[in-house]
Amino acid sequence: MAPVLRMRRALLAVVALLASGNASAQSAPLWRNVDIARQLRDTLPQRIRVQYAAGRVDVRATNDPMLYMMHLRYDEVRSIPLHRHDPEQRSTALGLESRGGSIRTSSSSESGELRLTLPRTVPLDLDLEFGGTQSTLDLGDMSLTSLRLECGAADAMLLFSRPNRLRMRDFEVNIGAADFTARQLANANADQIRVRGGIGSVDLDFSGTWTHDLSVTTRLVLGKLTLHIPPDVGVRVDVQRVAAGFEHSGLVKRDDAWYSPNFESAQYKLRVRAETLVGQIEVQHSSR
Amino acid sequence: MTALTKGLLSALFVLVPGVVAAQSVVNGGLIRDLERLARGEQVAGVPSADSVSPGARTIAAGTTVTSTIVARGPVDVFGKVAGSVVSLSGNVTVHRGGVVTGDAIAVGGRVVADSGQVGGEMRNLSALPTIFGAAVASGVTQTPAQRTVQSATVVAGSFGILLIIGVGVLLFAGPNLDEVVVTLQGRFARTFWYGVIGQLFALPGLLILIVGLVLTIIGILLVPFAIVAYCIAGAGLVTLGFLAVARLVGGALWRGRDASARTRTLGALFAGLALFFALWIAASLLVWAPLAGAVIRAAALAVTWAAMTLGLGAAILSRAGTHRRFASTARAVELAAWQTPTPVAGIVAARRTVAGGAR
Repeated sequence: MAPVLRMRRALLAVVALLASGNASAQSAPLWRNVDIARQLRDTLPQRIRVQYAAGRVDVRATNDPMLYMMHLRYDEVRSIPLHRHDPEQRSTALGLESRGGSIRTSSSSESGELRLTLPRTVPLDLDLEFGGTQSTLDLGDMSLTSLRLECGAADAMLLFSRPNRLRMRDFEVNIGAADFTARQLANANADQIRVRGGIGSVDLDFSGTWTHDLSVTTRLVLGKLTLHIPPDVGVRVDVQRVAAGFEHSGLVKRDDAWYSPNFESAQYKLRVRAETLVGQIEVQHSSR
Repeated sequence: MTALTKGLLSALFVLVPGVVAAQSVVNGGLIRDLERLARGEQVAGVPSADSVSPGARTIAAGTTVTSTIVARGPVDVFGKVAGSVVSLSGNVTVHRGGVVTGDAIAVGGRVVADSGQVGGEMRNLSALPTIFGAAVASGVTQTPAQRTVQSATVVAGSFGILLIIGVGVLLFAGPNLDEVVVTLQGRFARTFWYGVIGQLFALPGLLILIVGLVLTIIGILLVPFAIVAYCIAGAGLVTLGFLAVARLVGGALWRGRDASARTRTLGALFAGLALFFALWIAASLLVWAPLAGAVIRAAALAVTWAAMTLGLGAAILSRAGTHRRFASTARAVELAAWQTPTPVAGIVAARRTVAGGAR
């Protein structure tokens, strides 16, 4: 047998040995379902923080008189449900915590799930921290005063299907390595939106009901940033890029920024500052 | 004594222990459930097993119960409970006018409180938790044997991974590894001190790099990449150096005189790595004996640190094996052993080395 062939076979044997060793090191998951809810006492402002590491996430609003309703499907071996409520501070922490010292990974193809419904009528300061999740968040028709969304390695879809009932003073999205899509962002009723990303694609759609001007700051290290802007909204784009392409059909450069032809005449204006190191910035806007 | 009385007595002797045993099993299960409620679900004031309702329980309107209620059947609350309500098998229903000041928990059922008030949480559980707290998962639930197996598996896995990396280095960066080995042989003391200095300056070096990039303004965007690249370079140097030390030590253990150069190098690497990991394996096998395990682990750590320091120093001195000053004089024959002669139209392209210089 040729030496190279012998070496290859030895290498394969070692890999097989390692694989069997790893398989035995993994412990079987212990899946458990819990539904946790808390009745609503009043409609004073609340702060809700949600943390969830891996699995499917679904967050939406409800008319039920509940402060929160959370359904969790989780692996008991690796995680503990998080449901702490402080009535004095009017704050709540929800989601899953990982058990300390556990470095084992699941051998199962099944994944956990978090379904969370939050009240429409309570002014909420919402803080969402997700790890490697597949998230669908419909935060339309809620009363958000602040929203902070943090995604690690995630596929996240944020939707404002109906206008936010209150003016949002702070709206921040931080993405690690993820595909992030936001739809109907005008419905968020925010003055300013900040999106920061590491690697991935960020797709922002600014349709919805416009009630005031909006400023957006995006910072993406590596990836593609796409902005969908309704034709009746005037847009000004300030681009900072190192090795990134910029597609700006319909925009005209004036001074240091790119403007839509209807920028001065439009009732509502969108001001975007887009920073990208490597990748692509695309603005889709067509004036009437 | 009549035959009938005798029969009844013997039946009693048989039945009573069975009933008592069954009762103790049931009570044992209930006690466990109550413990899981208290520790896993943090229910305050869980009653003793004797106070658990064996079936359905109803709190009538106008009555107040001032303790936590646990029942093995469904619970209906029309009155007031100053505490929590738990059904171990069924629904908890808080009817109109009913009040629960604590939590309402239904195991295998649902909490229904459309009209009633629940001051705490409403929880529907598919089952009671079986694991409590953060510390349990990492140690208490595992037997010493399981911990030993797990620990040994981790060490064996690390050995295998390092061996694979070693084979990869032999295949793709053999000359660099050779150079690091020769540097180790030639400048043993100096490599150690270079290794120590390398460790001391690893973090300041990274900080200087970051500050330098930040000062250039445009370089700010490159900071994340620079950090990753720096860490990869550092890990690469340490790994290359450790493999070189393992090969050097292994070469002293296993000479393989009759084997080919390739087999000899691989065998030396394997023997060296096995020697270093033998201490770690011994430590992992003694995980059940805290003192002995700690002593062996400390020894393994010290030996590994010394090897890594030497290796890092040699890798730095030889510039990751690219500085061929030593190699040019020391190992022309060995380098040639890794080259594969390529026949071109029947003529051997590379000259094979022949022992004693004879053709």
